[in-house]
Amino acid sequence: MLAYDPATNPLNTNEWAFPLCECVHIAAFAFSIGMIGLVDLRMLGLGLTNRSAAQLMRDTEIWILLGLIAVITSGLAIFTSDPVHYLHNGAFQFKMLALVVAILFHYTIHRRVNGAAVAIVSIALWCSLVLAGVFIGFL
Amino acid sequence: MSIASISHAIQSTGLATYVRESELLYPMIMTTHLACIALFGGLIAVTDLRLLGVIMTNTPAQDVIARLRPLKWAGFVIMITCGILLATSKLDEYYPNPYFQIKLSLLALVGVHAWVFRKSVYRRSAPASGTPAKLAAALSLLLWTGILSMGRWIAYYEPPK
Repeated sequence: MLAYDPATNPLNTNEWAFPLCECVHIAAFAFSIGMIGLVDLRMLGLGLTNRSAAQLMRDTEIWILLGLIAVITSGLAIFTSDPVHYLHNGAFQFKMLALVVAILFHYTIHRRVNGAAVAIVSIALWCSLVLAGVFIGFL
Repeated sequence: MSIASISHAIQSTGLATYVRESELLYPMIMTTHLACIALFGGLIAVTDLRLLGVIMTNTPAQDVIARLRPLKWAGFVIMITCGILLATSKLDEYYPNPYFQIKLSLLALVGVHAWVFRKSVYRRSAPASGTPAKLAAALSLLLWTGILSMGRWIAYYEPPK
């Protein structure tokens, strides 16, 4: 490891900083994954059925991108508070793998192919991230 | 009968005890609660951004509101059910927690918000736009961000010894 002492990290010295990062993280994932969910629901024939899934994807893509940037930035900040703990946490390792797969899926297949199966895979991938995120705290 | 004894009685029911003591069920309910926050949050965000006039401006706001209403209700009901299961399983700790109390108060304000803007925005047949629509959207975003943040802060309260 580089000479980095987490004890000097503002997230560990200021009692407000860590929960605030978590709030940004949760608000941003609600925002971005929620918008992806809106497209998934449309692919399943629910919600904004007066627009095509492709149209809805175009409507929401800038908001999804902004949300994902905020969720990853806040996540990175949380990670720096105790990198060694997170790297050794099985749920965290799974979450990072799921994150890479979910983002690759979203920016490749999810954007191009419209179908119920694509929507279900997308929902399952993002839910697995939430599940892993919750379990980080229980392991 | 005090609030403390009522909350202890609720926490001691079979279901609440089972949720509290289960190693798997408790995090699973929490995951469902958070997944619904994502779904419900996304639907709220889209509706509010449409009312603010920054997304899907070629679709009437009334249309967005009406088409998303059933999904919002479904998400809301599952989210609240999970929330009740989580809170009642540890009600002794939750009810004196100021962040939990603020969260419940903000949830009550969501009801007030829906009632206040019902006629002028949410159940309006003519296109909702202008000041009431923008005000309703901004307040909704503010309320839900507050609820979400207070929910997270519940875990950081240390009761006086």
